[in-house]
Amino acid sequence: MAIVYVTLMGLLVLFGAAVMSLEILSSNLMSPYFGGSIYIWGSIISSFMIHFSVGYVAGGYLCKKTERVYPLLFLLIFASAWVMFIPKIHPLAGEFVSARIADVRYGSLVAMNIIFFLPVTIMAMVSPYIIGILSLHRKTSGLSAGLVLFISTLGSFLGTNATAFYLINLFPVSTIVQGMGAGCLIFSGFALLLGIDKRLCYR
Amino acid sequence: MNDRRSAARSALRASQVLVLLAILFSFLFPVPLGAETQVIYEGDSIYNHIQIRQDAQERCMLFGRYSDKRQTCLDMAKPDLSVLEYTGMMFVGFLFHPETKDVALIGLGGGYVPTVFNLHLPDVRLDTVEIDPLVYTLAQKYFSLRTTAKHTVTINDGRQYLKKTDRRYDQIWVDAFNTDYIPIHMTTREFLQLAKTKLTRYGIVLQNVHNSNKLFDAQVTTYRTVFSHVYIFNGQYSGNSIIVGADNPLFVPPKFQLSAKRRPRIGLIDLAAEAGKYVPEPNIMPVAVLTDDFNPANLLLHQDH
Repeated sequence: MAIVYVTLMGLLVLFGAAVMSLEILSSNLMSPYFGGSIYIWGSIISSFMIHFSVGYVAGGYLCKKTERVYPLLFLLIFASAWVMFIPKIHPLAGEFVSARIADVRYGSLVAMNIIFFLPVTIMAMVSPYIIGILSLHRKTSGLSAGLVLFISTLGSFLGTNATAFYLINLFPVSTIVQGMGAGCLIFSGFALLLGIDKRLCYR
Repeated sequence: MNDRRSAARSALRASQVLVLLAILFSFLFPVPLGAETQVIYEGDSIYNHIQIRQDAQERCMLFGRYSDKRQTCLDMAKPDLSVLEYTGMMFVGFLFHPETKDVALIGLGGGYVPTVFNLHLPDVRLDTVEIDPLVYTLAQKYFSLRTTAKHTVTINDGRQYLKKTDRRYDQIWVDAFNTDYIPIHMTTREFLQLAKTKLTRYGIVLQNVHNSNKLFDAQVTTYRTVFSHVYIFNGQYSGNSIIVGADNPLFVPPKFQLSAKRRPRIGLIDLAAEAGKYVPEPNIMPVAVLTDDFNPANLLLHQDH
């Protein structure tokens, strides 16, 4: 049972870190195509806000509908694989959009959503989904919603600082993104193989 | 005993009040910086904290709160005098290409370069690109910046401007960095390759950099991967250098006495003297090539050359 909780916490930390790391790196990905102005940061932050919002409601909905962890894990595997392809996607998206939309505000907003909507929305599903799953086990779970969000946001803090302070100076952006995608893929796969649904007692 | 204690307490209380008053007063009356230096403007934009200081004839626009490294200064009585060394040095571009017709400048500052063009190069097109609208406003208000049909200012990101423009330039000058804000997407190989596509046949890219940190070495290294000829000019009185990248320069430094004959001065700028700052064998450390994918510019900025 402990392994289930550790894995769930791992998912919270990992995907909390991953979304913030992607947000930090997205300015590097966007600026060659849209510049380095305040507009770009507006697009980056607002896009991620959209993705989080949709992810939260989708996560809660899917959890309620399926009452199982494995649908989330399949989606996370898909999202992680998408992230691994971002270094190939973003130049194409950047060129395509910046050639067709003159205003960098709307251009960068469109490009951000083409590149990040699916993976970040899915990753944002993790917190509400896990809160939902745990609430199905009120007797066995010691974790409250606040604790789940604390762990996930702690992951976000680590992801932000590790990326901005260290990783970006040590590795190419494409390497960081692909490495992160691979790490997320491996962990999600591991969580799937663990068979969490069987281990948790469902009422 | 009690009298001494209460006297001490009163003295302490009085001194606390005095300190508090001094602090409050300092907000009302900004502390003067030196005998004559006055801060005539201080404000923030999204991109910069900007201060404008006046010291006798000299008016400077400073960027950043904690360091005076990045600034642009004009002598208000002689606005085409190059108060700071690097602003005059940039005009060596005219020795590489004396018949320049079109120049793009990225980074406005106080507008020294456009001022020189206004006064002495009225027929040479200068398109200045500045990202911060406040810088433009302040340059107009405090440094008498004027635009004409041939001397324009566009508010835009420099790389974006170059990407979208249909114009071709004989010279592209990059002076976009300050202590707070290094736009790293303008330090990379891909940026220089883009700039190269906007040059005319004998065009050059020219950049002002500080030479005291490893970012300088990285930028020279990056220039060398894009241009077949890269030239360095070192400031004699400042920590600035000018990097020039060119594939087909019309004149090269050993031949500068020829181009200097055609155009020995631009206003008060002595081009022959600036040519003397050329460094044939610069001491450049092998550092990473800066690319859009991998750019530790902020780290290199803090490592000494």
